[in-house]
Amino acid sequence: MSGPVSRSLRSARVLIALGMILCIGICALFAGWIAPHDPGDQNLLSILTPPAWAAGGDPSYPLGTDGLGRCILSRLIYGARTAMLVAFFASFGAMIIGSVLAHISGYFGGVVDWIIGRMVDVWMSFPPVILSLILMVGLGVGLSKVILAIILVDWTRFCRVLRSEVLIVTRHDYVAAVRLLGFTHWQTIVREVLPATLPLLITLVSIEMAIAVVVEAILSFVGLGVGSDQPAWGQMIADARQSVYQSPWNLLLPILGIFLTVTAFNLLGDGLRRTLDVRFSETGR
Amino acid sequence: MIAIVAKLIARRLLAAVPILLVVSALLFCILRLLPVDPAAMSLPPNATIEEIEAKRHEMGLDRPLPEQYLIWLNDALHGDFGRSIQFRREAGSLVAATLPVTIELATAAMVLAGIFGVSGGLLLFHLRGTLLEPVADLASILLLSIPEFLWGLILLFVFGVLLQALPFTGQVAPDLPLPHVTGFLLLDALLVGRFDVFLSACQHLILPVFALGLAFSPTIMRVLRSSLFDVYHEDYIQQARLRGLSEQRILLKHALKNASLPTLTLAGVQFGILFSGTLLIEVIYSFPGMGNLMVDAVRNADLPLIQAIGLTYCIVVLVINTVVDSLYVVLNPKLRVR
Repeated sequence: MSGPVSRSLRSARVLIALGMILCIGICALFAGWIAPHDPGDQNLLSILTPPAWAAGGDPSYPLGTDGLGRCILSRLIYGARTAMLVAFFASFGAMIIGSVLAHISGYFGGVVDWIIGRMVDVWMSFPPVILSLILMVGLGVGLSKVILAIILVDWTRFCRVLRSEVLIVTRHDYVAAVRLLGFTHWQTIVREVLPATLPLLITLVSIEMAIAVVVEAILSFVGLGVGSDQPAWGQMIADARQSVYQSPWNLLLPILGIFLTVTAFNLLGDGLRRTLDVRFSETGR
Repeated sequence: MIAIVAKLIARRLLAAVPILLVVSALLFCILRLLPVDPAAMSLPPNATIEEIEAKRHEMGLDRPLPEQYLIWLNDALHGDFGRSIQFRREAGSLVAATLPVTIELATAAMVLAGIFGVSGGLLLFHLRGTLLEPVADLASILLLSIPEFLWGLILLFVFGVLLQALPFTGQVAPDLPLPHVTGFLLLDALLVGRFDVFLSACQHLILPVFALGLAFSPTIMRVLRSSLFDVYHEDYIQQARLRGLSEQRILLKHALKNASLPTLTLAGVQFGILFSGTLLIEVIYSFPGMGNLMVDAVRNADLPLIQAIGLTYCIVVLVINTVVDSLYVVLNPKLRVR
């Protein structure tokens, strides 16, 4: 029986996804070195230039410039940094709140379970896009605000799915057995329940990262995202809409950025689900 | 039968009332914690401090928060959601004018998502075990990775800008009148007999509806496929085969019926999400619906309007979920006792 990690690493989906995430992650991490220009630098003498390979292109702007003469490639690279920061911090934040509540709820049951369950009900009756917009009005724009808004909206995804898993795991005999051996509730949850729910947790995190990238793009697109001083893909799309006839590349490139990032996280989630979920591998699918 | 369903829906809607109360209180609290002053915003910029204080008193903003909430709730129950600060009109009437536009868009999109989802799911299932299965599977993940607003932009770019085949701003061509009877444009155009308006409205709906339909069908596709897999493990499928029924008949007559139950539940949840997903599509295609109004209100911190629209979204989603839940009970014989 091979370990779950080596099993995952043999899955083509997981490997391709990790490769893609690594590439985007390197762009994000080393944006300052990779980007040819400062993403905020305006060159009003060369606005809306096409990519370097097209007629009229300028080799110093490999992917052209936007309506304010800013380098598209640099903005894309810095936009990756924004997207990745949001993806990681928002999904881990939502994961921590959601999974702590899910474990408490599913393990202890009773009144606690009822209260947490109703909280999730109330939260989920808000459409996510609407709730995050309302939160952004309250929090104001900025990178940390976007992350906080996504955490406050999306913890329910973790809580609801994980709670039912915890409920199943807690009913197993081995959990009752360690309680009889004198384990405290805390020890039981951390040493026996958590390892059993971990595969689901990891899968949910990678799917949540895909969702966070989309939400960040949506908020930036509407103008309630990270703020105008920080490059973001959603904002680039909103800017490019003004000049879509003159320079279609400005619109297509950030769309491609979002698509590739979201695909990578979804592919990772799908690959992990296939390799980590015992039920999935039993039925051979 | 219809009476039972109506009773069921009524009972479930009643059960949703406490949730709605909590939701409205939560909405109220979030918006009152904002660092913006609705009283100062509804007065001209040269108003004096005394005038602002007087306005605050008039609007009830100097009372304790729970009392403010009860006043607002009482007004809201009487259909009064306050006045929009930027439009200087009743927030309720603004919502009433834009809601039909969004309902029309969301319903059309859901029908399309259903058609794509079911046919795609059947195709995915049909390809099981063939060489094309991994390809189709991968394609469905790729489709899953394109959210509605990206579809909106891509379709706008390809069919609107590049091919110039379809219109992509507004509900109807700018030189045509907007008939107003029920607020549902397609219906109204037919009611007043303006087929040119009807045709133009249909054309304007194509891109937004496809953007939403394409974004929401992959989930339906994948769930239908996996439920079909589950159903095919059941004995009655074997038995139908032994009875000599054709594979096509087994799939369409026996398996699909049972596999449609989980798919329907999911479609209900999807419809709720799709309804709020219209927001971005309305912004992209300049559709005069509730989503566009919401973004406008949010950008201008128009609290009464945000409150009214936010609550409307929650009510619509709750109603959709309730109706789908009830439908589920009706369609599933196992739950029909009682």
